[in-house]
Amino acid sequence: MSSPVHLSTGRPGQEAPATPPAPGRTSRLSDRGLAVAFISPALLLLLAMSVFPLLWALYLSFTDYSATRGDAPQFVWFGNYTAILTSAQVHLRALTTLIYVVGAVGLQTLLGFTIAYLISRRTRGRGLLTTLFLVPMMLSPVVVGLFWRFMLDAQFGVINSMLGSLGLGQVEWLTRQRTALISLIVVDTWQWTPFIMLIALAGLTAVPKYLYEAASIDRASEWFRFRTITLPLVWPLLLIAVLFRAIEAFRLFDLVYILTSGGPGVSTETLSFHVYKVAFLGFNTGTASAYGILMVLVVIVLTQLYLRYLSKLKED
Amino acid sequence: MRYPKRRGRLPVPGRKIHLATAAMLLVATTTAACGDGQDDGAKASAPKAPATIPELTKDPLTLSFIWFEWPPAQALETFANAEYKKERPNATIKVNTVPNANWHDAMFTQFAARKTDFDIAILDSQHIGEAVTNGNILDLTDFVKTNIDVNAYNPYLLAAYGQFPQAETGQRDENASLYGLPLLGDTWTMIYRKDLIGDKPPQTWDEMISVAEKCQADHPGVSGLAFHQANGSDAAAVTYNTVNGVYGGNLWNAKERKIEGVLNDAAGQEAMNVLVTKMKPLTAKGSGNWFIDEVNAAVAQGKACIAFNWIAASGGLLDPKQSTLGTTREQILDKLGFATLPSQKTNLVPLGGMGMHVSAYSAAANQAEALNFMKWFERADIQKKWAAAGGVPSRTDALESPEFLNAGPFNQVYTDSVPRMRDMWNVPEYARLVDIENTNVNAALNGAKRPKEALDDIARDQQNVLDSSGRKGGGGL
Repeated sequence: MSSPVHLSTGRPGQEAPATPPAPGRTSRLSDRGLAVAFISPALLLLLAMSVFPLLWALYLSFTDYSATRGDAPQFVWFGNYTAILTSAQVHLRALTTLIYVVGAVGLQTLLGFTIAYLISRRTRGRGLLTTLFLVPMMLSPVVVGLFWRFMLDAQFGVINSMLGSLGLGQVEWLTRQRTALISLIVVDTWQWTPFIMLIALAGLTAVPKYLYEAASIDRASEWFRFRTITLPLVWPLLLIAVLFRAIEAFRLFDLVYILTSGGPGVSTETLSFHVYKVAFLGFNTGTASAYGILMVLVVIVLTQLYLRYLSKLKED
Repeated sequence: MRYPKRRGRLPVPGRKIHLATAAMLLVATTTAACGDGQDDGAKASAPKAPATIPELTKDPLTLSFIWFEWPPAQALETFANAEYKKERPNATIKVNTVPNANWHDAMFTQFAARKTDFDIAILDSQHIGEAVTNGNILDLTDFVKTNIDVNAYNPYLLAAYGQFPQAETGQRDENASLYGLPLLGDTWTMIYRKDLIGDKPPQTWDEMISVAEKCQADHPGVSGLAFHQANGSDAAAVTYNTVNGVYGGNLWNAKERKIEGVLNDAAGQEAMNVLVTKMKPLTAKGSGNWFIDEVNAAVAQGKACIAFNWIAASGGLLDPKQSTLGTTREQILDKLGFATLPSQKTNLVPLGGMGMHVSAYSAAANQAEALNFMKWFERADIQKKWAAAGGVPSRTDALESPEFLNAGPFNQVYTDSVPRMRDMWNVPEYARLVDIENTNVNAALNGAKRPKEALDDIARDQQNVLDSSGRKGGGGL
C-alpha cells in the first residue's frame, strides 16, 4: 500500500514539511543526484551545441584560421577585430542594416499595434481575424522570399501587372538601389507585423476594463483614454516585441539571399549576409568568427539598454 | 527525517565542485568536437590517386556525385545508371544536386569538415585551385598517364578541367599535375530569332548590337538582348569577361598576379562601356537579376531578339511544352537559330563546363569505383553515347562525331568554339574574385555605379585579395 501524498497548502514563506522518499527509491540516489541526472543530458547538449561553439568561435576570432586550408590557427590577436571595425565595407553593410532595422521594425510596430488596437475593439470574430493575420508568420522565410520574388518580378510579377492595369509604369522592385531595400522592408513587414500585433493584442486585452469605465464616467475622450490608459499599459509589452523583432531584423539573411542576393551591387547586403560571404566564399573563418562575435556584442548591448529602460518603466 | 532545505547560493566548496565539473565537461566537449587535431595541424596537399585502379568491390555500392540542379545533372544520372551498370551491375550512380548559388558552399563546407557524402565532386574549372591547395581532391596525374589517352583531347579542355596551376589560354603544361577529367564541356551560344533578324547571324559584336537595336525598335514588346546580369554565382562576371575578351581586354597578368591596371586598361574600359551603355539599354526592364533560367524563359516566350546562354542549359528551348514559339521542335527551330559568339577585336568565348574530381575523404572502395567510372566515362564509345544522351563530351573524336553533332542544333556551335575558349582565374581565391566582379558588374548594370567606377573598384578589390594572402587579420573583408 502506498503512502498518501501530502500536498502543501501553506503560504509562501512557510516552511514545507519534509517529504519522505518514495518507497523503492535507492538510498544512493538523493534528490540532488536525481536532479543532476535529469539535467545532465540537457546540460551536455547545451554545452556541445551552444557554449562550446561560442567559446570556439571566440578563440578562432583571435586567429587567422581557415576551415578549408587545414593549417593550424595562428594568433593574430585583435587583428580581425581592428580590420572589421575599420573596414569601409563593413561600415556600408552596417548602415544598410541600420536602415533596414529601423524601417522594418518601425513599420511593423506601427501597423502591428494599429491592427491589434482595431481587433481589440471588436467583440465578434476576434479569434478568426487574429488567426488569419497570423498566417504569414507561420510560413518559412524562404517560401515567403520565393513567392514575393515572383510577385515583384518586373516583367511577369503580379504587382507590376496591377500597377499596369492602374495605368502606372513598371517598377524594377528588386534591381534598383532605391526600391530593392524598400522591397525587403515591405516583405519583412508583411511577414512579421502579425508578431507585433499578437504581443500588442495580448497587452491590450490585459488592460483592466474598470480603468476605461472610470474614464467613461469622467467623460474622457477616446484619444485621452488611449494616451493615458492604453498606451502606458501596453508600452512595456510592445517594447519587448520591438526588441525581439529588432534582434531578428538585425540578423536578417534569408530574405536577402532569396530576393536580392544583396544586390544591386551590394546595396542590400546586410551584416549577416556579409558574414556569410566572409565565412563561406573565402572561408576566412577567423575573420568571420570575429565578425559574428561583434554582432553578438551589439545585440547584447542593445538588449541591456532595452532591459534597463524596461526596468525604469516598471519603477516609474 | 527532515531533509535540509536549500536556500540561496551553494556553500563555497559546492560551488567549486560545480565549476570544476562544468569546466571538465567543457574540456571534454572541446576535445570530442576537435578530434585528435591531426587534420587541422597537418599542412594540406592533394593526396595521389594510384596509377592503376585498385581491385573493385563486388558488394553493392553507391557512387555519389555532387552537382548543381540543372538538366545535365539528371541526364548524367540516367545515362550512367543505364550504361555503367552494364559493366558494374553492383554500382548505382547518384547525382546529388543543390541550387546553383549553393554549389560552391555545399562542396567546400564538406571539404572543410574533412568528410564528404559524395565521392566525385563536379567542380567548376575555377574551383580546382582552391580544392587542390586545401588537399580536398586526389592528384590524378599518375592515373591519367596510365589510363587516359590524353592525345584524344584538345589540350586546353584537358587542362581547363583538371590542371593546376592554371593553363594559359589554349595551352597545356605537360609537366603540370592533373586533378580532374572532363565531364561536361560548355560555352555560350548566341540564340537569335531567325524570323525577326534573318537567317544569317551577326558576325561582329558591334553588328550584333545594331541588329538587336533595330529588332527592338521594329518589334515592340520584344527586347533586343537577353543575357546574364545577376549578382549570384558567376552570372554578371562571365558576361563582363566575355565582352572584355571580345574587345581585346585581359582579366589579369597571371605570371605577375597583377589585376589592377590590366583589367581596367583601355580595352577593359571599352568593354565595360559597351556592356553598360550599349547592351544594357537593349535588355528588358527589370532584367538586372537574370541568370540562366530567366534568359531561357525570355527566349521561350518570344521576348528577346538575341540572347546568350550556356549551351548545356539550352536544351529546354526546343521543348514545345516550355515554348510559345511553336508546337513542335521543328516549328521552334524555324524561329530560333544558334551560332557561335560574334567576334570583334578577338574571337574569344567563355569556357564553361565542369570536370570530375575524386574526393580525398571518400572511402577507399568508393575512390576505386570513382577512378573506374572516370576511366569508363572517358572511353571513345562512351563519350559518343554521352553525346547522344544530351551531354557535351570533350574528346575530339566525340565532338566531331555525328552522334554529337546531330544531337542538338547548338552542338556544332560548341565544336566550333573549342579553339576560341578563355577561362577565368583558377586560383584558390577564385570565390572572392568572382564575387567582387559579380557585385560590381551587377551594380554597373543596374545603375548603382558608373561603369568606370565599377571597373576600377573590381581591379582594386581583386588586387587586394591577391595581395592580402600574407596579411595578419581581417582576411576576407
